Amino acid sequence: MNIGRSALPPPISREPVLMLTTVMRTTGLLAIAACAASVATLAACSSGSGQQAGVVTVSNNQCGSSWQLPRPGWHTFKVNNQGTNGAEIDLLDPANGAVYAEIESSGPGTTTPMSLKVGSGKYAFLCLFADSDPDQGPTVTVAGHVAGTRPILPVTYNDLYPLSKQYQAETEAGLKVLAPETAALAAAVRDGNLAAARRDWLTAHLQYETLGDAYGAFGTFDDEIDGRADALGVNNPQWTGFYRLEYGLWHDQSLQSLTPVASTLNTDVGKLVVWWKTQQVPLTDIGRRTHEVLENALEFQLTGHDDYGSGTTLATTVANIQATRALLALLDPLLTPRYPGLAAVKSGLAQLQALLLKERQSNGSWIPVAKLATQTRQEIDAACGQLLQELAPIASITEPRNTARGF
Amino acid sequence: MASDQPDGAAENDQPPALTPEPNVRSEPAGRRSFLRGLAGGVAGGVLAGGAGGYLYHGNPADPAAAANKAAVLGRLPAVPFHGKNQAGILPKPKGVTAVVSFDVTAGDRASLIDLFQTVTDRARFLTEGGTPPPSGIGGPPADSGILGPTVVPDGLTVTFGVGATLFDDRFGLAALRPAHLATMTSFPDDDLDPAQCGGDLVVQMSAGNTDTVLHAMRDIAKHTRGGMQANWRIDGFASPARPAGTVPRNLLGFMDGVANPPVTSATEMKELVWVQRGAPGEPAWTAGGSYLVIRLIRMLVEFWDRVDVGEQEAMFGRRKDTGFPLDANSLYAAPNYTLDPTGDIIQLNAHIRLANPRTKQTASSRILRRGWNYDRGIDQVGDLDMGLIFTCYQQDIKRQFETVQTRLIGEPLVDYISPFGGGYFLAVPGVTGPSDFYGRALFA
Repeated sequence: MNIGRSALPPPISREPVLMLTTVMRTTGLLAIAACAASVATLAACSSGSGQQAGVVTVSNNQCGSSWQLPRPGWHTFKVNNQGTNGAEIDLLDPANGAVYAEIESSGPGTTTPMSLKVGSGKYAFLCLFADSDPDQGPTVTVAGHVAGTRPILPVTYNDLYPLSKQYQAETEAGLKVLAPETAALAAAVRDGNLAAARRDWLTAHLQYETLGDAYGAFGTFDDEIDGRADALGVNNPQWTGFYRLEYGLWHDQSLQSLTPVASTLNTDVGKLVVWWKTQQVPLTDIGRRTHEVLENALEFQLTGHDDYGSGTTLATTVANIQATRALLALLDPLLTPRYPGLAAVKSGLAQLQALLLKERQSNGSWIPVAKLATQTRQEIDAACGQLLQELAPIASITEPRNTARGF
Repeated sequence: MASDQPDGAAENDQPPALTPEPNVRSEPAGRRSFLRGLAGGVAGGVLAGGAGGYLYHGNPADPAAAANKAAVLGRLPAVPFHGKNQAGILPKPKGVTAVVSFDVTAGDRASLIDLFQTVTDRARFLTEGGTPPPSGIGGPPADSGILGPTVVPDGLTVTFGVGATLFDDRFGLAALRPAHLATMTSFPDDDLDPAQCGGDLVVQMSAGNTDTVLHAMRDIAKHTRGGMQANWRIDGFASPARPAGTVPRNLLGFMDGVANPPVTSATEMKELVWVQRGAPGEPAWTAGGSYLVIRLIRMLVEFWDRVDVGEQEAMFGRRKDTGFPLDANSLYAAPNYTLDPTGDIIQLNAHIRLANPRTKQTASSRILRRGWNYDRGIDQVGDLDMGLIFTCYQQDIKRQFETVQTRLIGEPLVDYISPFGGGYFLAVPGVTGPSDFYGRALFA
């Protein structure tokens, strides 16, 4: 044996009781395990359960009645569902319901790992069995001053419902701005005024892109209004919408031939305005879209994929930033206490927007991505990639969760 | 002479013994501002700590155990990350590799330091292995998961180099530019594509398996999105020696790198590979580094395969089947050019004769040659796009690689190869311990 090893932490043992003794002696840290429904002494706990270390049994009438820890730190609970049906199992701080870890779906008869860094604090399992009342297990206190996984206050359906209504209303207002813009565009095309048509196209398209329609918010309307030529090909008459019109306006197609295209676009927007009033935004969508809109911008705009001739995909990305900001503004009260990275998200949005706006010419036109200097393009792509990393946790944090108190 | 010994016959073929004790580390204090989003994320603080190789208690997934098990499953154990020199330089190519050139997008010196620290942290974790931390409900998974729940080392090395452009006016590093670092020279037989040349940084990841390399690549990229952007990339592989016990072949069918200086000779490594403290003109921070020349060389294999084997062997100066020099009866024998002054046996412009004339005067121009094969699809006429990722290490690019390459100008082989990319870099000194990071002395 190498003498230097004495400096290392004590080895990990599979024997929890033995291990606990070691930890108590060497570090003074104390993990108190809960037995049955009350906080009990270590001795009582260890002699009473006889269960495999780390195994937590849950059932319809028992939620984590016996668990113990060798010491604070990384730990994997093996949550064994002995109930008769499926359940969501959370490990929470009983003081405020903040969640350390969760198993979204634990099937009957299964054992599912739940991993976290257990630090000093209070812990309790919460079992949400289908068709049963929420059942909170005993509280376990881990003493000392050891930092562990930071619990997050769950966002509930009740938290999100008003935001969903507000989002719906804001989008409705945005669509009402869009409708006269597509009408003006259709008129310019019909009048044979190419300059006006191009100008009005950009105005209307950017307005549409501020609505953050990623991932089917507008159902099939998005295919009709903002669909790509991808599967259809640019000569397919089934291809309609903004990009179809862009292709024509910037590829010398006659305005006469484009008049029905612009008219159909305007009609479809009108239908969307009506349809949208009857829609309800799924609650999980708000959080997810905070990164999905810009994921799409990176995939389709910053690559130049969606440049059908106008060279304005950087402007589209700015509009997508606006859409993302609107979503974040809605979620702000929920995110502020839950997400320490929020400030970085905001500065990341500002940084990306500033980089993009530098590529707008004084005459209002935009530099196509394909013509950007390499360094500029790298800076934009890096800023967008970093921002997306920062946005990514929001969907998880704002996913609506059942809780004993909030639901 | 020493260089006639088999390259690294006794070198790091056998990975070092595993430390049996669990790799439990405390979480490093603080968090890089560079990773602001991940930092802010609930999983973020944990993620940086992941560099230490976290374990789940009660679920003994310590890297040592994982590596032992993994070795059984065909995975290589860990190559120690910390050391005076970077760990990926001396070992012979094995398994697969990926070379990625990056440009720095970090806006200032502090962000650049964050970037170097972050790459170091990730490389330390990835090479040691361990269990990535769970994200809880605070975000998407911290790890791509493509290696399963426990990251196995699989012999991963992460070699980190800096290019000349890093020492422009952006970060105030101009005065600290390594003495021999410059933009890669375009030689007369080259056909360089600027889009596949150079870069502020280079990261070469090599391991036993492709999934390990791709895992490392995704991990490093994910943690550095704001700080650097990939320029060009090439993937390669090391062929096994065929027959066993010889030297791996390139895709022209010839053994490659037979005459390397022995990496077990500290003297020769000192004279040829490592930048020495106090070397003329060399800033102090570079000591322990090594200049890395990367040349991406397409091999026109269809053309080559239509060439008579005698002509092929004449071009190289070695037998294709055995790898022996044409004037000798063993693989590692030194060709005797003194006895063959007019090139009757090994022609005067044969590749091995020009590359290493084996004279006193040319001894100091020897390089540590590390070749990887690449294979990436087809060209416009349907011919295969494959060739060599030539990499070599040295302490002075002009004295070594460029001198060798200059001797090779116009060699008969140039008709069958086409160098199209690469760059000059300094593989920075090694990371000596948990608080050190790539290039720390550069910022001191």
